[in-house]
Amino acid sequence: MSATKASRIGEELWKTRIDKVNAELVTLTYGTIVAQLCQDYDSNYQEVNKQLDKMGYNIGMRLIEDFLAKSGVGRCSNFRETADMIAKVGFKIFLNISPTVTNWTSDNNQFSLVFDENPLADFVELPDDGRAQDELWFSNILCGVLRGALEMVQMQVDAHFVSDVLRGDDATEMRVSLVRYIEDEMPPEEE
Amino acid sequence: MVVYSFYIFDRHAECIYNRRWVPRPSSMIGKSSRPTSETSTTTNTLPPVLGHSARTTDDDAKLIFGTVFSLRNMVRKLGGEDDSFVTYRTSQYKLHYYETPTNIKFVMLTDLKSPSMRVALQQIYINLYVEYVVKNPLSPVEHPGGVGVNNELFEESLEQFVTRVLS
Repeated sequence: MSATKASRIGEELWKTRIDKVNAELVTLTYGTIVAQLCQDYDSNYQEVNKQLDKMGYNIGMRLIEDFLAKSGVGRCSNFRETADMIAKVGFKIFLNISPTVTNWTSDNNQFSLVFDENPLADFVELPDDGRAQDELWFSNILCGVLRGALEMVQMQVDAHFVSDVLRGDDATEMRVSLVRYIEDEMPPEEE
Repeated sequence: MVVYSFYIFDRHAECIYNRRWVPRPSSMIGKSSRPTSETSTTTNTLPPVLGHSARTTDDDAKLIFGTVFSLRNMVRKLGGEDDSFVTYRTSQYKLHYYETPTNIKFVMLTDLKSPSMRVALQQIYINLYVEYVVKNPLSPVEHPGGVGVNNELFEESLEQFVTRVLS
C-alpha cells in the first residue's frame, strides 16, 4: 500500500468515523499527568520518561484494537508500509497529525517520525531547573503507545525520541526500530 | 439457523471466552446422556471425536483451538501469508472463523443451514469486543482465564446479537 493511499484512508476515517474532542482538553489532561509524575518522582526525569512509556504501552495495546476496528485495514506486508500506516492513519485519526516518515536505514528496519506539530506539547515550556531540558522527553507516552500497539500486531519495536523542539532542538524526532517479528504463540503442551 | 457455541482465543492461545447456547447438536445428545464420569477421559491418550460424552467445555475449547490453528497455518502455507479460511463444515455443524491482525480468534459453531458468519464475527469484534472489553479501562489488557471478558455489557450484547440479529 502506498503512502498516498494511506493518507487517503487516514483523511477519510478522520472525516467520517472519528469522534472529536477539544484539543485543549487533551493538552491539559496530558500536561497534568506529566506534571504529576514529575512531582511524584521528585523530578527524577529518567523515571518520569519510563512511567510515561509504560502508560503509553498499556494504551497502545488497547488502541490498536480500536484502530483496527475503525480502519478495517489488514496486515502490512513490510515495515515501510507499517511506518506509513502509523504516520498517515494512526496519528491522523487519534491526534489529527501526520508526522513525516524519514531517515530510513538501508535495511528498512529503522525510520524516524518527524513531528511538525504535536498537540500534546502545545503551551508547554519545560521547567527551568537545568535538568529537564536535557533529561525529560515530554511526549514520551507516544513511544510507549507505538511499542504497545505494534507488539499486538506481532512486531517488537524500540521507539524513543532523539530530539524535541521543547528542548530547543530544530525538530521533534522519534526513532523507531524493528527488533523482530513475534512468532505465533502455541498452546502450552499437555502433559 | 441455530448457533451452537462461540469462542474467543487471545494471542497467547488461551480461550478467553466461551458461550454455549444449545447443549449439543441433536445427534450427539443421545450419546451424551449416557452416564460417564469426568475422570474417565484422563486415561484416554487422544481426545475422542466430537460429540464424545465426557468431554468438558475446556476440552472442547482446546480441540477447537487446535483445529483452527492448524487449519489456518495449513491454509497460509498453501495460499500465501494473506490467505485465511472462513468456514468449514462437517455433516453435523459449520465452524466459522475470523481472526484479527492482533491474533484474536473468533470462532462460532452453527448448524448447517446458516449463511456465512464472517461478517457477524467481525461485527462482534468491532461492536462488542472492542467497545465493551477493550475499551473498558478498568478491565485488564490481557485476559488470562477470561477475566474482564466476562463483563455484563459484553455478555448481554452478545446474547442479544445472537438471538435477535442472527436467528
